[in-house]
Amino acid sequence: MDFLINQCYKQRYTVTLEVYSHFQMCCKDLNPLHTDEEFARKKGFPEKVMYGNILNTFISHFIGECLPTKDVIIHSQSILFKNPVFMNENLDFEAVVSDISEAVNTIEFKYKFVKPNGKIAAKGLIQIGVIK
Amino acid sequence: MERSQIISWLNEIFEDIIDEGPVSLSEKTVSRDVDGWDSLTNIQLVVAIEKHFNIRFTSEEIPSWKNVGDMIDCIILKKEN
Repeated sequence: MDFLINQCYKQRYTVTLEVYSHFQMCCKDLNPLHTDEEFARKKGFPEKVMYGNILNTFISHFIGECLPTKDVIIHSQSILFKNPVFMNENLDFEAVVSDISEAVNTIEFKYKFVKPNGKIAAKGLIQIGVIK
Repeated sequence: MERSQIISWLNEIFEDIIDEGPVSLSEKTVSRDVDGWDSLTNIQLVVAIEKHFNIRFTSEEIPSWKNVGDMIDCIILKKEN
């Protein structure tokens, strides 16, 4: 196995206009919180709130592209949204190996996305399988 | 550690992971006796059992289990060592 308990991986992700537009095209969610600046401001946000599930696509990128092996498959992932994310905010993603089961070749990561102001945008757990 | 208590915990773990209603395991239960206990679910079961009992199995031990009784033997052995 290429993983060790407490091993930490870091990436930086940004919800750019391109990411936002492509995600919107896929999900077809045009809720005004995500598409209407005025609506979002009336609800107490400084601007349009980015789709929280864009962060799940970043997790997909992390698992598929940033690990030391490509022999991986996602078994499960959880996400708890703590603070809204806005367009062009840099998010520091950190994933720590929290559990390894060599018996069934699974790795669990505890992860978080941190906003530029230090607040956590989202956090959760990811379990992957290492495919033989 | 009582075998009956371990079966009771295993029932709870199986019900939580398999999500197909009540599970009533016995020492002789095998995977085909439990709806939803397939190879993918087995991965989640093993991970959940390891976490619950704070033990680690090896990749050789799991295929050697013929039934739930063998699983319990392995759990007891790990807890005693």
